[in-house]
Amino acid sequence: MNKIMYLEFERCIGCRSCQAACRECGDHDAKERNYVEYVDFMESRQTYPMLCMQCKDPACARVCPANAIQITEEGVVLSAMEEKCIGCRNCTFGCPFGIPKFDFEENKMYKCDMCYDRSKHDIAPMCASVCPSDAIRFIDYDEMMQLRRKRTQMNLIEGKKPQEGNKWEYVPEFFGVYSD
Amino acid sequence: MSSLERSFYSKTSMYAFFVVLILSISVWFSTGQFKHMDMALLGYLLSSMIFAIGLTIRMCAWLLRPATHKVIHRSFKNLRTRERKNRNLKSVFITAMENIFLQKFIFKRGLYRGIQHWLISWGCIGSFAITFGLTFGWMRFDLIDPETYQIVVFNVPTMIMPAHGLLAEIIYNGLNITASLVLIGVCMAIYRRIKDNDVKVTQRFEFDILPLYILLAVTVTGLFLTVSYVLLEGFMHHYLTLIHQVTVVILLIYFPFGKLFHLPIRPLTTAVPMNYQEKVQIDTRPCHSCGAMYSNDDQISDVKGILEIQAFDLQLEDGTFLADYCPACRRRIRVMKQLNLGGPQGNPFQPIETRNGIQMSGFGKKRSEDFYEGSNESEQTTVHGGDQ
Ligand code: SF4
Ligand code: SF4
Repeated sequence: MNKIMYLEFERCIGCRSCQAACRECGDHDAKERNYVEYVDFMESRQTYPMLCMQCKDPACARVCPANAIQITEEGVVLSAMEEKCIGCRNCTFGCPFGIPKFDFEENKMYKCDMCYDRSKHDIAPMCASVCPSDAIRFIDYDEMMQLRRKRTQMNLIEGKKPQEGNKWEYVPEFFGVYSD
Repeated sequence: MSSLERSFYSKTSMYAFFVVLILSISVWFSTGQFKHMDMALLGYLLSSMIFAIGLTIRMCAWLLRPATHKVIHRSFKNLRTRERKNRNLKSVFITAMENIFLQKFIFKRGLYRGIQHWLISWGCIGSFAITFGLTFGWMRFDLIDPETYQIVVFNVPTMIMPAHGLLAEIIYNGLNITASLVLIGVCMAIYRRIKDNDVKVTQRFEFDILPLYILLAVTVTGLFLTVSYVLLEGFMHHYLTLIHQVTVVILLIYFPFGKLFHLPIRPLTTAVPMNYQEKVQIDTRPCHSCGAMYSNDDQISDVKGILEIQAFDLQLEDGTFLADYCPACRRRIRVMKQLNLGGPQGNPFQPIETRNGIQMSGFGKKRSEDFYEGSNESEQTTVHGGDQ
């Protein structure tokens, strides 16, 4: 897998197409695994899409007492293995970003797996392929770097000059699975 | 204990040694100093010993993981606490009944899967119980007169039964019954693995499919043994016994290292109602920011502990940990960090300032004054307005 998920939260228009698409993905059992939420409903209508970071060293897998969370060779962090998950929800509370969902009925955790059957063949995950405003994109590493540079330039045009101590505030984080 | 441990290569090898020792003593005792050993079962006995060693090694590796260790540690602490006696008993009972015996949660995943898993699991557990009971000599049948058998359990003679009675028939056919359960279940599972496209997303041959074929081989050869001596007058019986024995040895050696290993770790489920969520879907701990209930204190302290042991630094500037926030607030913290919006720290009721001047202002809106001031005095340090 040579591609990266690139999120720009402020592009989100709150249409929730990504969630509808997620429900349709193979093995997702008609349940969405991503989130679209309001940053602060009382303040503005700004929404954001939220996916799993597919951490290199996932906290969710580290806190799982059953060792149920597996990482594929491409680096995708999968949902709990159905036969091992004991349903303790440690992963939900260990994940720094609040991603894993829990199904109380079926007693198992499920989480964003970047539509593994698609992304392992370099096909964009469902959410990225339907997002109408490009808030979620599945792009090459180079393209991602270009976008990041553009964001920095934009800030400069806006008159925001990053200083040594705060330059990271001007550059959006990138994340997702990639291998160079 | 530690001086004993020193005489072994590792803790795991020490435990493995004791497991084998205890098993050997039990065999010695229940076969009356090896007098009643069934030599035909010697091969099974040896492979069962290897199985026990493999299982011990895997269990140790699993228990040594910080997460597992922490949860088990809390379980034992709670089991020893007298005030929690009712809760402990209830948790153990309910888990054993609903989760392990009835396997309700698998039936919720689908009736077909529920039936399939129930048949395989109870067939396997039954077969294992009978096989181990006989190979370790824990249970044997002594002929007291040509018409009567006596069941001897751990070398203690118990009940007497007629050699051709109903009970005797059920006992002789025990393995056939359990094997038939497994056979039906395994066929259902293999069919599902072939037909269902969803399971193919993450399935791996050596992990998900191989155990099914091994179980199939064991049950088919085992059942064919019965067919051979009941219907075919012992046709190829000797070879069939050998083939069956080989498949069983493969199963026993595969067991601790493959998918089937989920069987011995399943009882850990008891830890959930016992340590964490007593009633399903009732949380007791409020989120540090929004106050919504999202977990309970014991679980969060365990999670923090596990993360700390493994050097995850998830502490925020104000001293709180990310685990103190509910998952929804954690997602919001991440977004706001990325949008330079400041976190929900400090006064949790304060509205979030979503306009910090970094993004392009909408066309309909005027730029705030400090935007133009900022560009005039570009030499100034940190100029943007969202500097909370
Ligand atoms: S809910 Fe399942 S996957 Fe999550 S930590 Fe518990 S056992 Fe592991
Ligand atoms: S669920 Fe959370 S901890 Fe696990 S990989 Fe995703 S972002 Fe990382």
